[in-house]
Amino acid sequence: MTATTAPRGWSYSLGKISTGGWFLIGIGIPLGGYLVYELFDDPVLFFQTTMKSFGLGSVYAIVALGFVLIFKATQTVNFAQGALAASGALFVSYAVFDGHIPFTTLRNPLIEIEPEWLGWSLSVVMALAFSAMLGLLIERLAIRPMVGQPLFSVAVITLGLEIVLRVFNNDAVEVDFRSLEIPYGTGGFTVGDAIVNWSYIAAMITATVAFVAVYIFYRTRTGIAMRAVAFDQEAAMAQGINVGKVFAIAWAAGAVLAAIGGIFATQPPVKQTGAVEPETANIAFRALPAVILGGLDSATGALVGGLIVGFAEIFAGQYLAGQTDLLGPGYTLIVPYVVMIVALLVRPYGLFGTPEIRRV
Amino acid sequence: MLLAFAMVAAACGSDSDDGDTAADTAAEEPAAEEPAAEEEAMEEEAMEEEEAMEEEAMAEFASSPGIDADNMVIRVGLNTDLSGAFAPLTTKITDGHLAFWEEVNANGGIEGWTIEPIVLDNAYDVPTHLENYESFRSDGAEGVAMLSTSTGSPHTASIAGDAIDDNMAVIPLSWYSGWGDPGIGANVFEVQTNYCVEAMNAVTYLSETFGPKMAIAGFPGDYGEDGSLGAKYAAEQLGLEIVYDGQGQVVPGADQTPVITGIAESGADFTWLTTNPSTAAELIGGAAQAGYTGQWSGNSPTYNPALLATALGPVLDTSYVHSTYNELWGTIDTQGMNDLISVMQARRPDAPFDDVYIISWIEGLIAKQAIEQAIANGDLSRQGILDAFNQITADLQGLAPDQSWSGDPNTNVVRESYIYDVDLAIYTPGATVTTEDASNGYVKIQGPFVSPTAEAWTYEPCFKADF
Repeated sequence: MTATTAPRGWSYSLGKISTGGWFLIGIGIPLGGYLVYELFDDPVLFFQTTMKSFGLGSVYAIVALGFVLIFKATQTVNFAQGALAASGALFVSYAVFDGHIPFTTLRNPLIEIEPEWLGWSLSVVMALAFSAMLGLLIERLAIRPMVGQPLFSVAVITLGLEIVLRVFNNDAVEVDFRSLEIPYGTGGFTVGDAIVNWSYIAAMITATVAFVAVYIFYRTRTGIAMRAVAFDQEAAMAQGINVGKVFAIAWAAGAVLAAIGGIFATQPPVKQTGAVEPETANIAFRALPAVILGGLDSATGALVGGLIVGFAEIFAGQYLAGQTDLLGPGYTLIVPYVVMIVALLVRPYGLFGTPEIRRV
Repeated sequence: MLLAFAMVAAACGSDSDDGDTAADTAAEEPAAEEPAAEEEAMEEEAMEEEEAMEEEAMAEFASSPGIDADNMVIRVGLNTDLSGAFAPLTTKITDGHLAFWEEVNANGGIEGWTIEPIVLDNAYDVPTHLENYESFRSDGAEGVAMLSTSTGSPHTASIAGDAIDDNMAVIPLSWYSGWGDPGIGANVFEVQTNYCVEAMNAVTYLSETFGPKMAIAGFPGDYGEDGSLGAKYAAEQLGLEIVYDGQGQVVPGADQTPVITGIAESGADFTWLTTNPSTAAELIGGAAQAGYTGQWSGNSPTYNPALLATALGPVLDTSYVHSTYNELWGTIDTQGMNDLISVMQARRPDAPFDDVYIISWIEGLIAKQAIEQAIANGDLSRQGILDAFNQITADLQGLAPDQSWSGDPNTNVVRESYIYDVDLAIYTPGATVTTEDASNGYVKIQGPFVSPTAEAWTYEPCFKADF
């Protein structure tokens, strides 16, 4: 028997709304009503919360995009994304806090450039280049030899890499609140009476740039090759596409996006210190529901999934704060997963994921 | 037997300064001095007698787990966090602890016995802690005579029962008030004061200094709630108003908006935290941004001076008061402090400067003194070390109040703690233990001191965990 259409949780036709669709409508209407009430009750707080949600959602979207790029090229969920995020933030700390070129005692000349923000930005670019090299190194040494091997084994390798990198960061480098010397600090500005952090704006701008860059990249020759590899590796190889090169590019780009996520993971709304620490690596696992929700192979899904999870987490944290007796103190931890589970019940491949068609 | 052992111990001890064994020294002396034949025969006879006594003494230790009697090695275990939530602090504590044993071994060990520390990483994860303990309790290469470090309250609680079954003495890197209760931690020998009493002392100081309205926020479980309950006890005794009660409400890794909102809206004069430094930073930064202007303090593990080098430094400078259990680096002139500084500078010259090495030293001193007592008792078995713990009064050489464990817990519980102001101006980021005038930004306000609340408190575990 051949399944010719993918299973769908709902139909877009109003006349054919599935149980899942009705379920979402049932949740959405009272939730929307409650949020409208909060908007009119305290518009300043609502605006602050919205901006904070955009900030967190943007960070999640950046991290999710890294997952997607690697998955799209290699069909592997990279569990080392968190450690790559922390490593990238660490490279920045080396460059701007210690004033050294990472892994050397050589003075970082970029940090001397005036104005200060320009020197800092160029140093970050240098640190991102080191992240890209780390991604390339991992791909060449640990992933490339596994081409053609079971995907499960490759995923387990990335899990091992996560542990190795984390322990290396913690033990050898002794991550202990190493500052990233963020030029705009962890403060913000006011809009009326509402406080908005500069880091929210920075995350939003960075996410926009990253997604536009990926959009453009997908339309280049290499980007088309990556999409071909994602569709069918063997067919792509038969067409003369260098699959190894596509893998390498995906890992380098994934590592850079992880590093950018790691830099933002030190700032509000994720953390308040602007410093890399062992917990920086946890950002990948916090972003994982966004990746799954959006669809593992969809850049659009990464953006939408990131924003949905960011909004859900921040709004639940703010407006259900008085309900911890009922919900338990750790309820904000499960909100992203609840949203993800509900969405997967109606869209099993994520909101924008490619439905898998299997021959039975 | 005791006499024989004492002679062996004396022989070993006499060589301890230069690190040679008794046999080595004895073998060299005849060639150097060329004694008369009669004297030589007598000396040989004495040596044979001595060797026989040594063999007899070793035979007594031979069957003990964690004891290699042939090579005179005692293995001690460190079940520590090298990659988890407290790793920035505990990796340093572990390093200091290893430096302590290196120094002991370089000076002839303990009565000639070499200490071999076995370090396993629990990643601040209870199942991993339990897994590690299986190795420590075994008779294999990782089997140990005692645990000189067991990091984490729930982690140590998870092995407390097994430790009783195994007669294993355990020094916790945890200041949970339940360790003093024989019903909870009969084999867990707590060090310094506990989270609960620490909170009583600090809250007394904070309320006298900043005002009567207090907010509380802490992790759920043995650590977080022990500290929170101590703060609540003090509030009740002193008539303070708890304007936000976040006991057990701070879940690590979760978005902290609910707690931040609660603190910011409470109007508290000060907030007492029992979290880790990363989460504390999130709460302090978030609440400051939300308009909270009160003071902050918390149980000792809540704070890490490295935070002063971050964007949060200025906030901590003006609003954080550090509470802890011991003196800090270089603040006193005692044998313990001088030894610690000289050994760390000699053996770990590049180690980052930190006061947590004092905890390493205190744990090392206690383990060493217990082992010395066990050797003096002629019983190096796990039970023998356990008995030794209950006999000694640990001399902490001025680093913290001396401590003993036998008898009434209400008498033994340490009630002294210390309060320090945080001063960004004197903080020296990136300093190592050899940096001159290095400072973690602490200025002592008072200590060791006991508040009237803590003085009048009758010992019982503040947080009763369901183990």
